Amino acid sequence: MRILLAYVSLLVSLTAHSADYAVVMSSTSAVQTMGADKIRDIFLKKRSFEGSGRVVPVNPLGSDPVRIEFEMQILNMGRDEINRYWVNNHFQGVPPPTTQASLQSVKRFIESVEGAIGYLPIEMVDSNLKIIHEF
Amino acid sequence: MSLLIGQFAQAQEGDYQLGLGYKAHEKFTLGGYFSTEFSQGEDLKEFVLDDVALLAYGNLSENISFLAEIESVGFYSYDFETNSSDTNTRPAIERFYADYKFSDYATFRVGKQITPIGYWNLQPINVLRETTSSPRLSREMFPKFVTGLQVSGFTPLHESIRYSVYLQNTGDMDAKYVNIAVDQHYGFTLEKTLSESWSIGGSAGRFREINQGSTRYFQLNSRFDKGPYTVLLEGIVDYHTAKLLPKVKSSSIYTQFEYRFRPRHAVIARAESFRDDRISLHEKIGVLGYSYRPQFPISLKLEYQWHADSDNNRLVGSFSVLF
Repeated sequence: MRILLAYVSLLVSLTAHSADYAVVMSSTSAVQTMGADKIRDIFLKKRSFEGSGRVVPVNPLGSDPVRIEFEMQILNMGRDEINRYWVNNHFQGVPPPTTQASLQSVKRFIESVEGAIGYLPIEMVDSNLKIIHEF
Repeated sequence: MSLLIGQFAQAQEGDYQLGLGYKAHEKFTLGGYFSTEFSQGEDLKEFVLDDVALLAYGNLSENISFLAEIESVGFYSYDFETNSSDTNTRPAIERFYADYKFSDYATFRVGKQITPIGYWNLQPINVLRETTSSPRLSREMFPKFVTGLQVSGFTPLHESIRYSVYLQNTGDMDAKYVNIAVDQHYGFTLEKTLSESWSIGGSAGRFREINQGSTRYFQLNSRFDKGPYTVLLEGIVDYHTAKLLPKVKSSSIYTQFEYRFRPRHAVIARAESFRDDRISLHEKIGVLGYSYRPQFPISLKLEYQWHADSDNNRLVGSFSVLF
């Protein structure tokens, strides 16, 4: 019986899903965790504040696989739907979040700009960053 | 040490993107739109280059932003029945305002702005709509613009509800294209998100027409989006009061069904009822349309309108671009 339990436990640990990506802010940020709904609102620019501080969303370029994953899992929107959303917002005077050319640039941006929030592969997260959500 | 966002260069997805404008600077964007329209019906055959507009917006500081828009309506038109043309190249101020974002619960907007009522008035230009025509409800039941102050944001009590309160106590900043000329207007809007697919809302307010009476309005709206389907339902009642005249009512309701049967292709059906007791009018309108967008900022549309008075039946086509 013990062998069977150990086998089942091993199977569970092998098949358990671990997150590949993380939504991160600077390690100096006061924010500890954030739900997917709020992250979605921030990247759609429906929200600009967390607590009393401003947040600044940053994206990698549209072709980056991390961004495509983020759009599917957190924004829950396809690329056509996102394009439509930002075209509508262009008329309202709301531009999309700023973009950076590489994941390294996104990381530097989050480390350096007060209130910056972005997403990276989890293996890129170091002590300068704080994970506030995994996906 | 934290840096300002402006010290980071924006990655090059292009300074200009169709539908997103020209990013002249990290904090300043230029854009515009135009639409052309062809209508054919009983005693009607007309081409119009309509809505030629330019807009600019940006941030003056972390919390202050602005938007300016000028537009010429009916820029050029040609009537095939009389073989005559007309032009109107004089632009008017369509919107001109500044926002101060105090928090997610309170953004203050001052200047000429769109009245935040219902769905159509917030996306009033052809290219953003799925039919060339818009319901009469969005054109005739309340002033499309407010020149004054608006406060909006999430309600502190429940963040699934957004509010707007707006106030005007002067004439319009530029009355050239206003649908109803008013010198006083106040009201509020509430919008509740019930789920990712479904939202409901409503507005109530009062406006005073220049040299005429006043009107109170009560409006409700609901939007359902699921996959390729969108269903809109909206209704409004106006109570008009004028000196020495009895109080009269006008009302309008429509429902619209949209089915995006392929990416970039959609069919739209709309049924609308409009009643105005001031002029004893009761109009019923049905619209069946097709929309094709080779890219989202480019819209080609065709629709047929059935009116209770069949003399007003017409075929309408349009081509519009947001740039």
